[in-house]
Parts: sequence; structure tokens; C-alpha cells
Amino acid sequence: MKAEDVVKLVKKQITDVKIPNERRVFASVDKQKYKETLLALKSNDITHLSTITGVDLGEQIVVIYHLDCGDGVLLNLKVPLPKNDPRLQTVTDIFPGAVLYERDLMDMLGVKVEGHPDPRRIFLPEDWPAGKYPLRKEAPKEEAPEAKK
Amino acid sequence: MTFIVPIGPQHPALEEPEHFRIEVKGEEVVDVDFRLGYVHRGIERELCNRTYGHGLFLSARVCGICTDAHSSAFTRTVEAVAGIECPDRARYIRTIGIELERIHSHLLWAGIAAHEIGFTTLFMLFWRDRELALDLRELLFGQRIMSGEMVLGGVRRDITPDKVPKIVRNLDALEKATKHYIDVCTSDRTVIARCANVGVLTKQAAREFCAVGPTARASGIDQDVRRDDPYAAYNEIPFKVITERDGDVFAKVVVRLREVLESIHIIRHALDVMPKGALAMRFPKKIAPNEAVGRVEAPRGELFYYVLSNGSNKPERVRIRTPSYANMPTVKPMLVGGTIADVPIVLASIDPCFSCTDRITVVDARTGKSRIVTKEELRRMRI
Repeated sequence: MKAEDVVKLVKKQITDVKIPNERRVFASVDKQKYKETLLALKSNDITHLSTITGVDLGEQIVVIYHLDCGDGVLLNLKVPLPKNDPRLQTVTDIFPGAVLYERDLMDMLGVKVEGHPDPRRIFLPEDWPAGKYPLRKEAPKEEAPEAKK
Repeated sequence: MTFIVPIGPQHPALEEPEHFRIEVKGEEVVDVDFRLGYVHRGIERELCNRTYGHGLFLSARVCGICTDAHSSAFTRTVEAVAGIECPDRARYIRTIGIELERIHSHLLWAGIAAHEIGFTTLFMLFWRDRELALDLRELLFGQRIMSGEMVLGGVRRDITPDKVPKIVRNLDALEKATKHYIDVCTSDRTVIARCANVGVLTKQAAREFCAVGPTARASGIDQDVRRDDPYAAYNEIPFKVITERDGDVFAKVVVRLREVLESIHIIRHALDVMPKGALAMRFPKKIAPNEAVGRVEAPRGELFYYVLSNGSNKPERVRIRTPSYANMPTVKPMLVGGTIADVPIVLASIDPCFSCTDRITVVDARTGKSRIVTKEELRRMRI
């Protein structure tokens, strides 16, 4: 599938489309519409979810679904969430391979994934304090040692 | 009545720490659960605290085996963010480094697999011949594993003509040895008995769980980032994507060994047609706000990097998804229904790399309490 065809397929749902080169598409989708978008893609034989990325942008947490659409075309679908209440529905019913990536998202950025079949911690230890998320901006940061000149 | 057999975090069958809970009914495995995170090092976060040039060295250390895969993914993504393409000769040198790494990684795996099925002679032979590839890496890049060959915008050193005869000699020896091993593995009764119809991953399950690399290709999924989304010089080099249909451990052995032969062809072709020219471009210190996704085919499968830049000399966010992490969910369908005795070889069949899978948080659990280890403490421990 070509980048333009992927965009055509879900044109109604997505906004803010960028095609930086022939094999990359960046687009945003509303929190209400991302599941129907993913379902529409799945019904067109797009089955490979490369991964899910969470990015803390300060006011918002953006969740990005990276989908391999065949022929090397990668669709990066962004779902912006308010940082004070980041909530999403699970996509494991559409892409079972998302099961670890969603646990990762809960651990590292504190995004609540509702309906996840196994919402235990994945990387963080059991006694890690609740409400502390290592990849959020407010997590304590250590400066890297400067390279010796 | 079922029993739980815990395997790991420290266990002779695992090369790295990870915990598996295998639920068995008699000999049969009925359920599997795993716990990750024992070797988390906080690399995604740390990459945002370092400049791009500095981060390249950290990304190369995500994995002790696929360092060139991580370097190539990091350079590919950061070069895309900055809108820079590296010179042609550097693309070919990168390709040669990446393929030598694939050869030694696949032979390392084949040796471990032979060891898991109790075939220690074959393990020794695989590791003996793996040295041929490692010697070439040392000759070309100055190091067997952690070469640091790639830099942002190119490569560090050239492949000079005086090194070519040795490369050709070692590749010929490797080709002969690999062909022999394919014959051995496909005809030896012990190998077939322990690998055929064991740990089967069906094509449908591989697709559902988004498996990658040789694990997916052994189940009949025709995907390879080198062909589908080419990087380095792969769009100019002809090669075959190896697939098998059966999805069992045996298919994974065959796929990996045949991939070694393809890698040898790729290196020979790259040496023949390598263009002359510059090795590296100047790379800017600061990168304007942008984002990019870069994928490469690491020995274990699709390795994924996402980089978001913010105008400074450090990235805003780097996401790394390693192939072993992607393949972890496939472990359950492969193990359930099999016997407990097959667990080590089936676990090994995805070629799991746990340091790759775990990356993010630095926690000290020695005292039973988790806490963040400070840099000073780490320094003290080092002494």
C-alpha cells in the first residue's frame, strides 16, 4: 500500500497529515475516533503494529501507534491526551501484539489503558511508588557526565 | 492438579536474567507467564539527557550483540530528523558491518541452540567458525563486537584494498562451513528429533502477535525491513528474503543458517560495487524541531527507533523497540502444549536478548527495597 492510499483509506478520521517521504506518514486522530480508525486499517489487512510510543509534551501526553502498512510504509497515528487525565481504551482486541506495549505505556507514562486483559507492571518493580512515572517530564533528571575534551 | 515451575531470574538455561513461570500438568506445559525488567538501565530516558553525538555511543550499548544494528537505527533516524544523507561509500561500509554482525549473531545463536539440545560438539563448531566473522570485524573496524564504526553522517574508517583478500578468504571459509552445517542440521537425527514440530508458531499467531525477524519468517511471514524499507545500501544489492512454512524450531534453524549464506553474498556484492568517495559529512550539533521513525533489520528482527527533536542539541524523546521485546508475546503459544523438557530450546528459538528487552529504570533491589542508585554510588561500586 502506498502512503497516499493509506491516507485515503482513513481520510475521514485523521487530521494534520504529514508525508515527509514516500514510506512515512504522520497523522493525528481524535481520542473518540482512534479505535474506529485502527479497525478500518485492520479490515484492510494491516496487521503489524510495530510499537506504541508515549511522549510527554508538558500539557499533553501523545500516544503514537506505529503501523506497518506493507511495502515499508509506516503510518504513525498520534492520539493526544490531556496530561491530567490520560485515558485510553485498549487496542489488544484489534492488535493482540499490543499487549506488552500498553503495559509499558502504563508503567512509564502513567497512561490508563482501560480494558487491558493483564494490566500488571511489566518493567517497574512491584514496590515502585504509585503515581511516579519515569518517562514523564517531572521525573527527576540527572545530567549526563560531560565528555572529556 | 498443576505445578508452577519457576525459571529465572538466575538460571543455567538463561544467559541473562528474566523470570518465567511455567505451569505444568505432569510433563505438559499448560500456561506461561513472564516478568521482565531485571536488566533495565534507563536508556530511553538517558538518551534525552545526552547530545546526539554522545547518545550514539549509548544506543550502541543497548545490546552487546547487535551494536551495529542499534547504531544503524540511531544514525538512520537522527539523520532523517536532521534531513542529512550519508555519503555512498559510507552506506556500503555500514552494510558490510551490519551483515558481519548478522553472521556472527546467527552463528552464536546456532551454537546456543545446539547447546540447548545437548549437542555440545556442534556448539563448539559453530562458535569456532563464528570467529571467522569476528576476525573480519576486528580487521575492518578495530573491534570484534563494539566497533563504534558508525558516526552521525557517515562512518569512521575506510575499507582499504589491502584488506579485501582476507575478507574474501574468510567469507569463502564461512560459506563452506555454513553449507556443511545446513547439511548436518537438516539430516542429523538428533537435531531433527529435538527441533522438528517443537515450539510451533503458526502463521496466524505470528501475525496476531506482530512477530518480527527470523521468528516471523520461519512461520511463513514474508517480511524483511532490508527489502521493504531499505536503508544503508540495501536498495542497490540483490538478496533473497528467506522464509519457511512450518514455524517450528527446525524452521528457525534453517532460516537463520540460510540467512548467513545471504549475508555472505551481500558482503561480496558490496565489496565488488562499492563506490569511491567521502566517508562522512559534517553533522550539525543542533537539530530543528522534527520527528522521524527509523527501522532496521537487526539479526533478531525489526528494530524500531522514534526520535523527536526540539531545536536543541539533545533529543526530546527517543523510543526504542527492540526485536526480542516484540517477539516476547509469541513465547506463550510456542510453549503451551509442549513438554517441560522442550522449554529451553523453545525459549532460545526466538533468540531472546533480555538486555535489549529491558532498558528503562535503574533500580537497586539488593536490600529488598527499590530505589534509584545515584551516580556517586555507582562510582563507588565501580571502585
